[in-house]
Amino acid sequence: MQRIWTVVLSVWAMLATVAVLAWTHRPVASPSPAAAAQTLVVKGANGKQQLVVVQPGAVGATHATTSTSGVVR
Amino acid sequence: MSARLERATFCAVGTSCAAAVTAGPHDARRARAALGAAQAEVAACERALSRFDAASDLSRLNAAGGAWTAVDGRLVEALRLALRAREDTGGRFDPTVLPALVAAGYDRSFEQLAERPARRAAGWHAGAAVELDESSGGARLEPGAAVDLGGIGKGYAASRALAAMREAWPMLPGGLVDLGGDLALWGETPEQGPWRIAVADPRHPGTNAGVLLLRSGGVATSGRDVRRFGPGRSLHHLIDPATGEPARPGPLAVTVVAPDAAEAEAHATALAISPPAAALAHAAAQPGISALYIPHDGDAIPLGSPPLAQTGFVLRAA
Repeated sequence: MQRIWTVVLSVWAMLATVAVLAWTHRPVASPSPAAAAQTLVVKGANGKQQLVVVQPGAVGATHATTSTSGVVR
Repeated sequence: MSARLERATFCAVGTSCAAAVTAGPHDARRARAALGAAQAEVAACERALSRFDAASDLSRLNAAGGAWTAVDGRLVEALRLALRAREDTGGRFDPTVLPALVAAGYDRSFEQLAERPARRAAGWHAGAAVELDESSGGARLEPGAAVDLGGIGKGYAASRALAAMREAWPMLPGGLVDLGGDLALWGETPEQGPWRIAVADPRHPGTNAGVLLLRSGGVATSGRDVRRFGPGRSLHHLIDPATGEPARPGPLAVTVVAPDAAEAEAHATALAISPPAAALAHAAAQPGISALYIPHDGDAIPLGSPPLAQTGFVLRAA
């Protein structure tokens, strides 16, 4: 009888250890390529370089653009 | 089949224009009616407000030599908005700068401008008197004064065109009018999210300084990056009422978000001749507006809290 309890407790201990290890070593969800921000170096009209961070929202389509009004020739 | 954006493009008010409506699969006829109404309203506004059309109501008023003139209700309303904007901006927006603008060289439609040296407008002063009689549809200018409604007129026409679309299609889910970058928008997009309006970055053609997320209201951009003229394209159309000459300080461009497109245009014009400190003070005094101020160099400056998506911000000079 004592031997059976020893086996049962051992199995439970092993399962608990595996569960704890599985919990503490969960794979970290890495951002998908589509969600990652990109850093670009662009050169301005004045020749200076600037760092530009393009966030994922920039990829989405826009409905219109606002700018100083151009001239129809 | 899901909703889509039905769009019409056309040329008016001296620039490229578009109107768009959110339409379902069975809304083609209603969409066409709404888009047609928008285009017709823009044409009606141009007939009333253009200074480049000698037969327009504004041209007749400017030529009336200080006499009362019967004009279209659109001109009376646009003048009322312009006068209120002059007050709200402390005179940095002034619709009576036309003599100074003409003296600087912007004396005809932009595509017909000839190169000639700038002059100062003799005897011109800012803040000329404009009287309105809204009951009979009349207006009168101080003798010698003349009005230009170029920018605010586009914003006003965009708002009117949006209203015309809603009248033509009472159950219109959502729509947008774009007159050369001055926008009036309202209601649902086909995606049922906010309207996404790109703010062009004049320093990096083809790129955006940000994307605005809006449910309704007006957007306008004013700047000195285009519409340059005179010797070596050294002049621009943004007259500083304090000097009567093309403004020296100010950003390359500024985009304003306001409850109404005409209001957005007037504040954009005022901010476009303001150095950063004055622009910050201006925005702080106007809680109804927000803006993105794009200087010639350095980071874009948000004024107030423009509803920007996190996109394309310039972090710092490398």
